[in-house]
Amino acid sequence: MRSVNLAEVLLPEMVILDCDPFKDKEDMFDTMTRKFEEAGFVSDAGKYKKALEYRESLGPTYMGRFVAIPHGKCREVIKPGIGFVRCSHPFLYESSGESGEVKYAFVLAISDNQENDYHLRVLATLAGMLAHDEFLELLENAADYEELIQGIKDLS
Amino acid sequence: MKIVAVTSCATGIAHTYMAAEAILKVCREKGYECKVEKQGALGIEDKLRNRDIKEADLIVFANDVGISKAERFKGYEDKIFQTKPHDVIKDPYSIFDEK
Repeated sequence: MRSVNLAEVLLPEMVILDCDPFKDKEDMFDTMTRKFEEAGFVSDAGKYKKALEYRESLGPTYMGRFVAIPHGKCREVIKPGIGFVRCSHPFLYESSGESGEVKYAFVLAISDNQENDYHLRVLATLAGMLAHDEFLELLENAADYEELIQGIKDLS
Repeated sequence: MKIVAVTSCATGIAHTYMAAEAILKVCREKGYECKVEKQGALGIEDKLRNRDIKEADLIVFANDVGISKAERFKGYEDKIFQTKPHDVIKDPYSIFDEK
């Protein structure tokens, strides 16, 4: 796998570990879009949430193995970023007619312009890593943010 | 056994790359040669050469959106397995299912 600095886009303020399970996807979107706005990644949480929902309408973002990767691309994304949430227990995630238990969600904010190739590369690398068992084990076992970031660096 | 694949998806980020990695992984596991062309937001990456396509035993199309430069695959329709990136991610071994 190519080496990229995921730490640059996966910031501590955008990582929630061992959060109580969400009521549903909508509940998770509300929490995460608000966090994106607070951290300065998006200018308008509501519009960004609409972008996430639009993507949901195109096809499922539930990936199996307790993982979901909803992503939204819109003008309101000031800088691309990733939010990660690990729930203490799975919640039911419904996505484009499919549903599954989700414990780990990566929420991606993608900017509308195509100039940020480096960031796109980072997001693409993350997506590739999700296909690996070692990465999923890390998501389950990382005790804190530092351990998570270090583990990602080791696997990159 | 030689396998080539083309992955693409709606936003060109998540599924394209995750499906590509999943295909490479199961092929490595089985000891098959494998090349995956990604048609994503970064453009075409690891583009398949005509020779790759010609020599492949199996061509996997894991795409939600139309494939760019599809004319390269003309004449090899009988080797093509058409699927969705989402299905590949959920069950990478499905690419070896009988057509």
